[in-house]
Amino acid sequence: MSMSTRIRIQQQDFDLAEEYQLLRQSDSAVGAVVTFSGLVRDFELVSELGSELDRGVDRGVDRGVDRGVDRGVDRQDQSSTKNPIDLLSLQHYPGMTESLLETIVEQANQRWNLIATTVIHRVGDLVPKDQIVLVGVASQHRADAFEAAQFLMDYLKTQATFWKSVRRNGEQQWIESKASDQQAAARWDGSDDK
Amino acid sequence: MINLLFFGRLGDFAKQVPATIEASTPAEIRQLLAADFPDLARELHQPQVLVSVNKMIVGWDQPLFDGGEVAFLPPVTGG
Repeated sequence: MSMSTRIRIQQQDFDLAEEYQLLRQSDSAVGAVVTFSGLVRDFELVSELGSELDRGVDRGVDRGVDRGVDRGVDRQDQSSTKNPIDLLSLQHYPGMTESLLETIVEQANQRWNLIATTVIHRVGDLVPKDQIVLVGVASQHRADAFEAAQFLMDYLKTQATFWKSVRRNGEQQWIESKASDQQAAARWDGSDDK
Repeated sequence: MINLLFFGRLGDFAKQVPATIEASTPAEIRQLLAADFPDLARELHQPQVLVSVNKMIVGWDQPLFDGGEVAFLPPVTGG
C-alpha cells in the first residue's frame, strides 16, 4: 500500500474538515482517522528562573490534553506565572523545517502501519484561539493512528525548527522549551512502546 | 564566505552580526564572534544550542566550505 504524506508550512489558516476528508478519502482501506489540532492559548506560562530544561525539573510525562487550561493549572508553581498574551509569533527555518518534518513522518511510517499522514504548521503572527498545528493520520486500525499522531506531535515539538515568541504590552519574549515536551518525546525511545 | 543565520532568541543577540564570515568550522565562528559579540558567544556556548550546515545538524567541528550556510538553533518550541 502506498503511503501518502502531506506536509505544509504556511501563514494561512487550515480547514480541519477539509483535511479530514482528504485523509478519509485517501484509500478505501482506511478504517481510522485521528486528527489533532493545537491552538493559541490566551496565556503562556513564563518561568522567571529560565527554562525548566535548564533547571532539570522532573514533572513526568503529561498524557493529557496538549494545550489546555487543565495542564496550566497543575503546572503552576512559585517559579512560573500565567501571563496573558496579545500575540503569538512563529518563526521557522525554511527548507530545514520541511525536511525535518519529512523525516519525522518517515519515522512514524516505519513504526506504524499508516495509510496517509498530514502535518500542517502555521508560521507568522497568530492570536488566541487561532489554529497553530494540525496532525492527521489515517490507518486501517485505530491504534496505529492514535499512537502515530501522538508520536508525530511529540517529535514535531522537540525536533522541528520552529520558535515561538509572544508579545504582551508591546514587549516580545521568546518561549522557553519545556522539559515536559522532552519527556513526552523520550517515551518513544524505548523498544517496548509499541 | 560562510552565510550566517541565527534563530529564535539568538537573533536578538545577533542583530549587529555581519551576514557572512570567513571560518573553517562552526566552532571557529563562535570563537571569532566572541571578540565583538560576547553576549552572543556566551549564548552559543549553551549546551542546548545546535548548529546546522546547509540545513543539516552537525557537530561544532564540521569543516565548512565557501558559500555554506551555518545556522545556530536554540531549543525548538513549535507545535
